[in-house]
Amino acid sequence: MKVDLVVTRIIDATVELVWKAWTDPEQVMRWWGPKDYTSPLCKIDLREGGKYLFCMRAPQEQGGQDSYSGGAYKKIVPMKLLEFTQGLADKDGHKIDPAQIGMPPDFPREIRTEVVFKAIRGDMTELTITEYDWPVGQMYVFSLAGLHQSIDKLAVVLAKR
Amino acid sequence: MRIVELLRDGPRPVGEIAGRLQLRQPQVSKHLRVLSDAGLVKARPVAQQRIYQLQPKPFAELDTWLDTFHRTWEGRLDSLEEYLNELQAIQRKREKKKMP
Repeated sequence: MKVDLVVTRIIDATVELVWKAWTDPEQVMRWWGPKDYTSPLCKIDLREGGKYLFCMRAPQEQGGQDSYSGGAYKKIVPMKLLEFTQGLADKDGHKIDPAQIGMPPDFPREIRTEVVFKAIRGDMTELTITEYDWPVGQMYVFSLAGLHQSIDKLAVVLAKR
Repeated sequence: MRIVELLRDGPRPVGEIAGRLQLRQPQVSKHLRVLSDAGLVKARPVAQQRIYQLQPKPFAELDTWLDTFHRTWEGRLDSLEEYLNELQAIQRKREKKKMP
């Protein structure tokens, strides 16, 4: 079985600003990661087929480790759509085999992701992020208990059903 | 997956599952064996029948897994929102300064 995971957020900023926050590396570094995380590096080659590499650093109290995620842009429609692949990566942007860092065997190497930007009420933006085809197989169910402790390593963007 | 959905409403014997899904009983038994091996369902013999029911633990774990991802992403969006708010506050200040 495979599931698509979706998250939506309405942001009090224009589509132009939100788009820039996603596509300008300097700006991505200002927000990529949950609270108390920092982002020491971000590379973006903003064209279809171009690659990107995002990094978030855990706070010192939580070990301070860096987590990289990377992939390639598949489709770019300015102010409307960013479609890209994403997977675990090392600091040079090379793909990491999820199994090597203890993820279950059917953990996907790449997830197709779509970020949709929609202007609403003139100066606000509705952001919808969809991650396609997460396998929810036996292996997942078996490994779930141990998995969520290391989930911060994933650097994948996800949401609830 | 339809079997799992059906069992969400309560435990059922194989015959009833087959009937409701309009599948042959051996076919359903085969699926149930896979689910049982995966620990998702458990069989309980009652008289001549085997009653199948869902095991709650794996599903609770699946929820935890989805929740964790959800939190990761919500955390990032919180940061994005905060950043954009700050950015706009700074811009507004600058605009005010320009105005006489």
